[in-house]
Amino acid sequence: MITFNSVSLIYPHSLHTVFEDLSFTIDEGEMVLVIGATGSGKSSLLRLINGLVPHHTGGILAGDISVDGISTSLTKPGGLAHLIGIVGQNPAHGFVTDTVEEELVFGMEALNFAPDVMRKRVEEILDLLSLVHLRSRSISTLSGGEQQRVAIGSALVMHPKVLVLDEPTSALDPIAAEEVLSILHRLVHDLGLTVVISEHKLERVIGFADRIIAISADGKTEIDIPEEILKKSPIAPPIVHLARALNLDSVGTSVREVRRMTTHLRDFTPLVSHPERDSGETVVAINKLNHVYGEKVALREISLEFKAGEITAVMGRNGAGKSTLFKSIVGFHKSTSGQIKVLGIEPTELHGRKRLSTIGYIPQEPSDLLIHPSVAKECAASDRDNGLEDGSTFAFLIRLTPTVNPEAHPRDLSEGQRLSLVLALILCSAPDVLIMDEPTRGLDYQAKSLLVDTLVSYARNLGKCVLIATHDVELVAEVADRVVFLADGDVVADGPTLDVLLSSPAFAPQVAKVMSPAPWLTVKDALRGIAQATGKDSKE
Amino acid sequence: MKRSFHPLTWWSGAIAISIAVSLTHHIAFNLAVVGGMCLIVYRTNRKTIDQSPWSGGLWFALKIAAIIIIIRTVIGIAIGVPIPGNTLFELPILYLPEWMAGIRIGGAITEERLTFAFEEGVQIATLICVFAAATSLTSPHRLLRQMPIFIYEFGVALVIATSVLPQLVTSAARIKSAQRMRGIQRRGWAGVALPLLEESLARSLDLAAAMDARGYGYSRHRSRYRREKILTRDLTVIFSSLALIPLSMVAFA
Repeated sequence: MITFNSVSLIYPHSLHTVFEDLSFTIDEGEMVLVIGATGSGKSSLLRLINGLVPHHTGGILAGDISVDGISTSLTKPGGLAHLIGIVGQNPAHGFVTDTVEEELVFGMEALNFAPDVMRKRVEEILDLLSLVHLRSRSISTLSGGEQQRVAIGSALVMHPKVLVLDEPTSALDPIAAEEVLSILHRLVHDLGLTVVISEHKLERVIGFADRIIAISADGKTEIDIPEEILKKSPIAPPIVHLARALNLDSVGTSVREVRRMTTHLRDFTPLVSHPERDSGETVVAINKLNHVYGEKVALREISLEFKAGEITAVMGRNGAGKSTLFKSIVGFHKSTSGQIKVLGIEPTELHGRKRLSTIGYIPQEPSDLLIHPSVAKECAASDRDNGLEDGSTFAFLIRLTPTVNPEAHPRDLSEGQRLSLVLALILCSAPDVLIMDEPTRGLDYQAKSLLVDTLVSYARNLGKCVLIATHDVELVAEVADRVVFLADGDVVADGPTLDVLLSSPAFAPQVAKVMSPAPWLTVKDALRGIAQATGKDSKE
Repeated sequence: MKRSFHPLTWWSGAIAISIAVSLTHHIAFNLAVVGGMCLIVYRTNRKTIDQSPWSGGLWFALKIAAIIIIIRTVIGIAIGVPIPGNTLFELPILYLPEWMAGIRIGGAITEERLTFAFEEGVQIATLICVFAAATSLTSPHRLLRQMPIFIYEFGVALVIATSVLPQLVTSAARIKSAQRMRGIQRRGWAGVALPLLEESLARSLDLAAAMDARGYGYSRHRSRYRREKILTRDLTVIFSSLALIPLSMVAFA
């Protein structure tokens, strides 16, 4: 279906090729997953398939790519619209019309389909993706999962043979992601659709993939079945890390497989040990907080306390009130009623340096904070703003990423380096509470582990309070001491990470699913747990 | 689902009303037009549960209109052609070189001059509100769908402009508040402009690529999923707007 024949790609004003001599074939009805670190060229690979690269981006393409016998170098993306459906990273950026139905027909109208054909197909797609009740809704008011389904629908409505998806679940909560992926799975099986998908959160998609294309940092590319690639790939979901750590003979891609391989490790009673830590003083105290937008109640009678030295993850569906809660704590807006005190002071009353040393906030788009033309200038400005000695922010940054180039423009940095820069800018003033909204969006495993290390050491060694809002259960399992679960403006669960995550199958991390009923969330937990349990058994 | 008006209805209505408005300086007439528009937009939008990003356009335009009236009045007082009449107070006159005769800065402020400047301000503000109301009632996207396909490039540019613009307002607010939290207060809009520009460029490119990938402008013809019909109530809106033209000419001249 898709053939890449010794493809090389170089972008204008770039010194190194994105791909060199890349050849592979994807058969009809296959679901292929593209993995690689951020910036390794996953998006470029996907957009090569329908010719958006290089027709839309510029750049020089050598070699030949053909889809269903049509060469993409000779045909413009528009000419492949009936053959290839593409869904971008952020569906909201690609919507052309206002309502769901109009969006579905947009492509068909452009290709001059007959009205009765369009009618029929729209109904078909509305049913297939369970969008019927949303048909005349305005797209901007839909949730992330619904928007993603509309985007997939408007690609499928053209009856393409190939569907290309760039990180379709990165902005979704685990349940919405599950919903989107199971639809894709069904499409592959029922319609024989060829699907090419890229995703950072491998644990979500790995079970569906027939083959994997792994792009390594040096531009080398491998294509093989998941078991082979995952044996050695540094990018791997937690169950693979678990399988490697336990020295299993092969790596499994689904929880079921790995569970079968590990039965012998679960036939002892595991020790349930809650890591006891003495809680520090209360940093953030929230008392009966309400927040109302117009007629919508975003937060309802929230009372919470966050302590020093504690990392709390705030989870919940999109629109559950996570961001509103954080904005209230940061002091962006006055709440409708109720009280928030950060170390006894109302956050809206904090200004200047006092604010910087009390609250550190990293928004969903960390680059919103970056305004200077180079890393060095950014750091110098931070020293000035915080009244620190010259060079202290940069010193902090170097500890996070030793290789960063001080002359580079912040926007040219890799995702991980940019996150380090923002962390350095915020953490150098050692705020008493660090607040991060969706920090792992678009981060690869490497950047994520840097984030984990930084957060853990900030909370443990410096005894600061850390709050993160996230959909990423694996991250929560790694860092959080406590999870607060919000739904529709209410706190529905609040407790130690272990209890909250294990109580709901949708939010249980992979390791926990494999090791259930043993209460271990991460590979590290499992190894420690198994060692303790076997040690105890042998003593008896 | 309740059928909405034809996309061209409110826009042609807005054009007719704007002609009527431009023919008169009568404040009461202008205020009545703005009031009527506010009422229609409020009633229409109240009923729909979910709104397009543009539906709040009129409320935003009202704020801008107020600023315009103030600026226009201040400028009308300070600079311009003297109009004789009942002098209210005098400002010191700044004498300009001879070749700029006819224009002066400062001088006697007559009641007539003040009224004239204010009326003109209201007129401009009304025009803005009329079109903002049309935008609130019919999203520009629906209007664009009525355009023929051969204006491809223009169409892409317009879709991008109309999609990115409302998002820019929210993005600007988001970036500004994020930066306030970093303690960047004094830089004002300069610091916001850079991330904002980057974001809007990226978004525009994304959107253009999405349109391209979905075959926009590839075929020379394009079909219509639902032909929009002009109903009696569409005609009612258009004709009552047209009726305002003679009304403003005769009654409020």
